[in-house]
Amino acid sequence: MTTLEHALLSPAPEATPQIAARAIDVMKTYGSGDAAVRALDGASVTIPAGQFTAVMGPSGSGKSTLVHALAGLDTIDSGRVFVGDADLTALSERDRTLLRRERLGFVFQAFNLIPSLTAAENIALPLTLAGRRPDPAWLAELVDMLGLQNRLGHRPSELSGGQQQRVAVGRALIARPDLVFADEPTGNLDSRHGAALLSFLRDATRTLGQTIVMVTHDPVAASYADRVVFLADGRIVDELPAPTPEAVLTRMARLDVPAQMVGA
Amino acid sequence: MWRLTVSNALAHRSRLALTWLAVALGVAFVAGSLVLTDTSSQLLDNQFRTAAAGVDLTVRTAAAFNSAMGVEVQRAPLPADVVGRVADTPGVDRARPIASGAGQLQVRGRAVLPAGPTILGTWADAPFTAYRLRAGHAPHGPDQVVLDAATAREHAVRLGDTVTVSATTSKQLRVVGLTGVGDRDGLPNSNLVLVDLACAQTLLGLGPGVTSIDVIADPDVAVADLRTRLATSLGSGYAVTTGQDTAAASAAAAKQSISYLRIVLLALSAAGLLVGAFLIANTFAIVLTQRSRELALLRAAGATGRQVFTSVLGEALLVGVTGAAGGTAAGIGAAYGLRGLARGAGLALPDGPLTVNPRTLLVAVAAGTLVTLLAAFGPARRAARIAPVEAMRLSDPAPATARRGRLITGWVLLGLGVIQLAAAAAFRDIAGVAIGAVLFLAALVVLGPVLAPRLAQAVGRPLARLGVPGRLARESTVRNPRRTAATAMALALGLALISFVSVLDSSVKAAVGTSYREAITADLIIESARNEMLGGLSPEVAHRAASLPEVAVASPIRYGHWLDRGMTSALTAVDPATLPHVARVRMTAGSLAALDGGGVVLAANVATERHLHLGDSLPMTLPRDGQQQLRIVGLMDDASARALSTSYVISLATYAAHYNENVDASVMVALAHGVKPQQARTALGKAIADFPNAQIRNQAEAAAGRAAAIDQVFGLITVLLCFAVLIALLGITNTLALSIVERTREIGLLRAVGMTRRQLRSMIRAEAVLVAAVAVVVGVVVGLGLAAATLGGLSSDMPLVVRVPVARLLAVVAAAVLAGLAAGLLPARRAARLDVLTAIATH
Ligand SMILES: Nc1ncnc2c1ncn2[C@@H]1O[C@H](COP(=O)(O)OP(=O)(O)O)[C@@H](O)[C@H]1O
Ligand SMILES: [Mg+2]
Repeated sequence: MTTLEHALLSPAPEATPQIAARAIDVMKTYGSGDAAVRALDGASVTIPAGQFTAVMGPSGSGKSTLVHALAGLDTIDSGRVFVGDADLTALSERDRTLLRRERLGFVFQAFNLIPSLTAAENIALPLTLAGRRPDPAWLAELVDMLGLQNRLGHRPSELSGGQQQRVAVGRALIARPDLVFADEPTGNLDSRHGAALLSFLRDATRTLGQTIVMVTHDPVAASYADRVVFLADGRIVDELPAPTPEAVLTRMARLDVPAQMVGA
Repeated sequence: MWRLTVSNALAHRSRLALTWLAVALGVAFVAGSLVLTDTSSQLLDNQFRTAAAGVDLTVRTAAAFNSAMGVEVQRAPLPADVVGRVADTPGVDRARPIASGAGQLQVRGRAVLPAGPTILGTWADAPFTAYRLRAGHAPHGPDQVVLDAATAREHAVRLGDTVTVSATTSKQLRVVGLTGVGDRDGLPNSNLVLVDLACAQTLLGLGPGVTSIDVIADPDVAVADLRTRLATSLGSGYAVTTGQDTAAASAAAAKQSISYLRIVLLALSAAGLLVGAFLIANTFAIVLTQRSRELALLRAAGATGRQVFTSVLGEALLVGVTGAAGGTAAGIGAAYGLRGLARGAGLALPDGPLTVNPRTLLVAVAAGTLVTLLAAFGPARRAARIAPVEAMRLSDPAPATARRGRLITGWVLLGLGVIQLAAAAAFRDIAGVAIGAVLFLAALVVLGPVLAPRLAQAVGRPLARLGVPGRLARESTVRNPRRTAATAMALALGLALISFVSVLDSSVKAAVGTSYREAITADLIIESARNEMLGGLSPEVAHRAASLPEVAVASPIRYGHWLDRGMTSALTAVDPATLPHVARVRMTAGSLAALDGGGVVLAANVATERHLHLGDSLPMTLPRDGQQQLRIVGLMDDASARALSTSYVISLATYAAHYNENVDASVMVALAHGVKPQQARTALGKAIADFPNAQIRNQAEAAAGRAAAIDQVFGLITVLLCFAVLIALLGITNTLALSIVERTREIGLLRAVGMTRRQLRSMIRAEAVLVAAVAVVVGVVVGLGLAAATLGGLSSDMPLVVRVPVARLLAVVAAAVLAGLAAGLLPARRAARLDVLTAIATH
């Protein structure tokens, strides 16, 4: 039994502080020499369990890189990253994959679904990859909450953009992960579908205690979160609890960046 | 535009690499086949030209034809007085009588068996021959022999050693000299055994006769004039030919088997190129689909459809020409490999430096280039039709689905093909079977995109049980009908040919073996170990066997060639008195004994086909006397004809009257009452010990020997077909590698949500195996069907029952599936190495 499997099978005791993930002094540089880009420059952040955290910052500030590092999708140059008790920097590639499968969920901006699988199969994907079946009650509840009852047998090409993203959220939640990462999940949706998705994510935190980390550049989207952390030049520069759109806008302005440059 | 074409081809060189390899491999096969057969012909020409170098004219007895099926007709010996008549003819400078024929050589009690003949000949100095003494002196008297230096070296024979030489009779001879031929140490694949004239006459049983007279003309006489003069003075019973013509005729006979080999090799390389064409078409289709946005952009920027078309064909031209050039170079090396393979299958090909004709280079490069261009034509036309607006489309184009027209064409072709095959098989019409086969294969190519996904769906059912990777593998195979079809069909074609050949092999073998076992009742069979087409046993063998007390009957069997309305055919000669004791010949009319009167017995099916009846006479052109009318004195059933190897049987007496050949193909032995086979075998072995090529076999061994000969031929074809299969497997690797480029995002997503590298690898490998499995199903079914139809079509010659070699086919299936797995290894590794993030980040 690997250390990871051990960790997975024996749940962390209730007494441990409610921290879902942590990044400590993370450095990440892409390329080398003249072309080197320092995407993360000593970023440290703590993701409390049971909260909806939004990550904001100007385009190119390292939001995606930070989330990828936290999710074990990418390696880092220095610093440490923990998901629960597991030190990602110490895990092998295979163990990181298993950890993603068992304990993390993902929603990307686009291309979230496998075209040849139906909606139901896409939702169950992380479990089936692990050779397990979804808990029928939980599946029914999720599908119900996401309003996908009549769409389960459809392939992604037969679903609207909003439905596709909801299927992706379903897939992220099906394994009851410790943590869900969403990188601009509403980036390709119109405002009505975006709002529905954001409410759903907020409700997941409120009613199920689901920990969520969402990257966004939209102050309105960020206002659905319990807390917003601000990133600039690869570092956490600010943080705002209980955000409103106006407060977020004000903070963003303080980051010394023209508003129109804020984006993905 | 050309600059763009070249830079495009270079930019996509990794995607085109396997295509290039496929072209090169196919062309290498073509070039190798041509080089090998050219080389063999050239070497044979040289060999015979060297042998006849100094001779102006050759005098022999006349014959109705020179050679048949690659075997030179043996002529009657020239009476001794002809030598004097020739020598005394004005204009003849010198005349040299020659006695030569096939012999055998034993060194230290062991037979020397070269791949070609052992030539027992008469020694002569230059200018008559190209023999050049390397050591010792020329042979004189009844116990001296000269061997070629190469044979002597190979078998460690030194001057003064004693060897055994046998033909019609057998002798112990002392080696007094070693010779070369021109500047070479011997003749390829042959042994030279040279004695003086009297000794050769004794060994060959010619009495005072000679086989030919070599003539050198006076320097001031024109050879053509002398030839006419000699021909008129000698009369029509003699043939006078120039040295070159004699050499050319001998070479032509020897080259006949090479021309068969060339046909087989070229047909198989065509199969390789065809399979390669599938791969090329597929690669271009995939690469162009992946580039469709870029092409649309080009169109939007003002490129015409024609420009796009020529640019794609330009790329194909580049791949074709360079691939063909590489393949041609490799083919020259491949000729050596092919020579080894053909030799392994029992073909005696001469050794020597390779001949590369300019024609070979031209044909090989043109074939490779043309196939590539033709294969890229369809994809290029589709690329030219891409509309500029597609540049603006966000999503990737959906894979094309089959159109109604294609469906209708396909099913109609398939229906016609099946009907044609069934009808041709029922009416025993082999040409009709060929037409049906072409229709049928065309239908499969057209219907491929419809059938392949359905088959993949069905064959891939067990994959679903392997979890998500298995299911996804099946889905992606089903999702791209055209791609899956092209990849699988190429492999299916190769596998169909292999299963076709396997079924043919085992069915023909079974038919031959069964009829042999049913008809031949001999306890022991003596045959030549050399498998000469017309046999190679001295009549002395039968004679000695018959005189043993253990033997009740020794019945010899001979074969001969004859011309049947201008076409070469074969007949069997038997002893009507003793044959019934060693074989069960079932007569449907007349009797075997009636052969004594000089007639012929026909296979019943041949008689029916040719509307011949008992008592009719059959015109046969026989080598010594030309056209003869032989009365039909009996009809035998087809199985008996098969056991006797031909459909025409005459008596040994008739044979002796019309043929000069004096060798038995086999001697069938029935043992005296109460004699144990083992005991008889020992006695026989002792009695014929000085005929090293005579092998004693029991019935099962003799049947197995025939089966082995059939296996050799089909084995060679199968090995060469594996080459086409190899190209098809490259196709699987290629298609998968290209589709992985296409599915980067999907793979990234799967990895992000928790697919391990191992699962990913097994998914890609499963795809490869699935394509291979679809190909196996199609290939084996098609191969079996075509084989059944072909056997039906062939059974006018011999009734054949379809025998499916189950174990062998299972081995082919297993090998193909495993090879499919191997073909998936490289793409699987490449997929597993994809970085999760680049996969996600591709927008
Ligand atoms: N794979 C990569 N190779 C090179 N540079 C990269 C790569 N990914 C991100 N970057 C660079 O790192 C910086 C941070 O990128 P990212 O985390 O995607 O920013 P954000 O998501 O905040 O827009 C940017 O300058 C980006 O150009
Ligand atoms: Mg980003």
